[in-house]
Amino acid sequence: MIKDILRTPAFLWAAAVFLALLLVPLFAGRFYVYILAVVFVTGLLAMSLNLLVGHGGAYQFHHGVFYGVGAYTAGLILAKTSLPAWVGFCAGPLAAALTGLVIGAFCVRLNKLYFGMLQISLGSLIWIVALRWYSLTNGDDGIHGIPMPEPISGSVHAYYFLLVVVSACLALMYLILKSPFGATLRAVRDNPQRCEAVGISVRCHQLLGIVIATFFAGVAGVLFVVLEGSVFPDMLFWVFSLEIFIMCLLGGWFTFFGPMLGAAIMVALRTFVGSYTEYWTLILGVVLILLIFFLPEGIMGVNVRTWLRSRERRRSAGAVR
Amino acid sequence: MLQVENLRKSFADFKAVDGADLRVSQGDLVAVIGPNGAGKTTLFNLITGHLQPDKGRILFKGEDISHLPAHQVCRKGIARSFQIANIFPRLTVFRNVQVSVLSQKNLSRTLFRPAHRIMLEETRQILERVGLSDQQFAIAGSLSHGDKRILEIAIALGNEPELLILDEPTAGMSPDETAATMALVQRLAREQGLTILFCEHDMDVVFNVATSIMVMQQGKTILQAAPEEVRQNITVQEAYLGGA
Amino acid sequence: MESNLSLAALTSQLLVGLSRAMILFIVSSGLSFILGVLRVPNVAHGSLYMIGAFAAHTIATAFGESVAGFWLAMFCAPLIVAVISLVAERLLFCHLYEREHLMLLLFTFALMLILGDLTKMTWGADYRSIVAPPFLQGSVPVLGTAFPRYNLFLLLVGPLVAVGLWLLSTRTMFGKIARAAAVDREMVGAIGINVSWVFAFAFVLGCLLAGLGGALVSPTISITLGMDHSIIIEAFLIVTIGGLGNIWGAMVGSLIFGITQSVGVMVLPQFAIVFPYLAVVVILTLKPTGLLKSVW
Repeated sequence: MIKDILRTPAFLWAAAVFLALLLVPLFAGRFYVYILAVVFVTGLLAMSLNLLVGHGGAYQFHHGVFYGVGAYTAGLILAKTSLPAWVGFCAGPLAAALTGLVIGAFCVRLNKLYFGMLQISLGSLIWIVALRWYSLTNGDDGIHGIPMPEPISGSVHAYYFLLVVVSACLALMYLILKSPFGATLRAVRDNPQRCEAVGISVRCHQLLGIVIATFFAGVAGVLFVVLEGSVFPDMLFWVFSLEIFIMCLLGGWFTFFGPMLGAAIMVALRTFVGSYTEYWTLILGVVLILLIFFLPEGIMGVNVRTWLRSRERRRSAGAVR
Repeated sequence: MLQVENLRKSFADFKAVDGADLRVSQGDLVAVIGPNGAGKTTLFNLITGHLQPDKGRILFKGEDISHLPAHQVCRKGIARSFQIANIFPRLTVFRNVQVSVLSQKNLSRTLFRPAHRIMLEETRQILERVGLSDQQFAIAGSLSHGDKRILEIAIALGNEPELLILDEPTAGMSPDETAATMALVQRLAREQGLTILFCEHDMDVVFNVATSIMVMQQGKTILQAAPEEVRQNITVQEAYLGGA
Repeated sequence: MESNLSLAALTSQLLVGLSRAMILFIVSSGLSFILGVLRVPNVAHGSLYMIGAFAAHTIATAFGESVAGFWLAMFCAPLIVAVISLVAERLLFCHLYEREHLMLLLFTFALMLILGDLTKMTWGADYRSIVAPPFLQGSVPVLGTAFPRYNLFLLLVGPLVAVGLWLLSTRTMFGKIARAAAVDREMVGAIGINVSWVFAFAFVLGCLLAGLGGALVSPTISITLGMDHSIIIEAFLIVTIGGLGNIWGAMVGSLIFGITQSVGVMVLPQFAIVFPYLAVVVILTLKPTGLLKSVW
């Protein structure tokens, strides 16, 4: 299996990109290193959401909750206890996956829109608790100044740590998507009724998918803490979850790397457009509308061959008339 | 093998199935016929677990499967194809069948082995048996209507069923395609010892192929017997065959 | 004497909760109506509520905060919101009706982003407030407590809106067509009715209600830019626990929200806001599809 992957052009591209990224801190200033690190974290989060949305067809509307739970768990452990850092790093994703399991168990009983609305409701409860439990979470202010172990503190060290962890996670995700489970998940996306008829318990598989996706969201949360040294209740806010959704749509939710690309574009837009104008969300809204109307499968979903073929069809249809 | 006893199912006030009985013995090719709205598809949905009956029983090999959900009914050895081609449109033909095979072998939750290395032989065999091998890498949504119906059957075969339920397998097919499909069905039944239960509107198909016919009207079973007996039964003639 | 005090306090809090519930209801009923007919949760609903409040402020201040100005604001602000939603719908939204629902939802999210910034551009980030006309100011003694007159006014308007919507939904031709279109759009189109206009009307009506809620709430709170975010979560939760698309469900949900928050204020003031959310979790555990039947 590994040998097959090593031979594909996609892997060679990925390896080239990885090597390039390794070299970035040698040439680029701290600001660009930081931005790239933000892209890594956000990208991982978007990729984890896409496991469920693009490959699983689920209406995961409040994915940010699991990101936030992972971040808060790690943040609280590192800031308020004297446990070693790795405990916090492991507890984050586990807490996120556990939350995913509990909320998921509620949601898979229903489908489509109900699934989404229920998740928003349950996730909002966690948000409001984080916002109001001032003594534990510092409420609206969030927690700042979280200490990081020496080897990964500082923006360059954090950058490398994030690069390695995110690459490892992506590799794992790739394996999972190529596995029988991945194939089954896509079948569930395409036709849940047919799946039931061939012996696949849709609920069971969706729940497993949720646990995996929320685990990776938790990893992304932990990485955020490593990078920023802070946590904010905004991570748990529902509107943020919809932004992650947009990243998947923007990049292409039926492709593997699409969400990562979408996250990169979003971060770039927010950083660079945001420095010119305070009306960055207006531009985001317009971009989203353009996407919905013209590029519903995202940037990477544009299949040039299909477009050419459909152009041919339209031409010949015109000729007949 | 399969026994349906006095099955009833209503949707609000509408009695979709109102006293259906069915007997299917091993090796049979049983056809269910009846006018539109007679409740045939609802009956199939009840048997396969997509709907739960209000009253009555469904026994499969002696076991009561009346209230099992669909994916568990499948595990008992019953597989089904649907009236409207119900495939996985974005997946390849090969993957369509492979998903079914993986489910049957309980491998659908395997996370860390590549799907393109598992169950290849079993999937290829099924595709060969139904004659779709040359299209195995086509996207399922792009197949012709007739080929989609055959893919339907192939997906059902992935479950290694003992009883195969086909919901109007030749709907919308030309006479050539119909003959080919039914020949395929009969060959599969012979080669793999499958028991087949199907419903159809095409009377030629029914009377040529079936070993036993069950007639439904307004949700009730009027009669189940050998084809000749059904053909000569006056009630059936008046109700359905138009007094032929 | 003590029991009188606590009874007064209880009544006061409950009545406040009920009035707040009326605002929540007016906004959520619009959301529920859109959800019931178009089957899409309107994420921009909170933004329209916010615009209603800002517009009401502008109109009222333009008339020097007079009585006429207030009523003009209550009347015109929702209309302004309705016009905005009509423009958005006819220009862009209606072209998406054939698409899958996820796309419609994402469109409403884009609308929320755009309207949010447009509001910031038009009105800026300052806090504003308007004053109710004199005869609605002050309070009335109710059950031993001083109950603000404006809240009483809200307690009248809420049920009026509910009855109005119910009559529209069940007694008028439009209501029947709208409900049919929600269930089977193709069939309704096949019998010659322009489904697109039915959806347009339903969307605009729902948004008008959001604007009305915003206008009505403006004398009681400070009008700021975060209003859209806070109300949309509450409206979504109310619609979910009430039953998707069900107007009476929106009423039940709003009442639960308002009352549990009042109870929370009396029991645990710092965590009062959590009480409604807890109620939501309890309800959804027992009845995940909501308390009342969903329209579809």
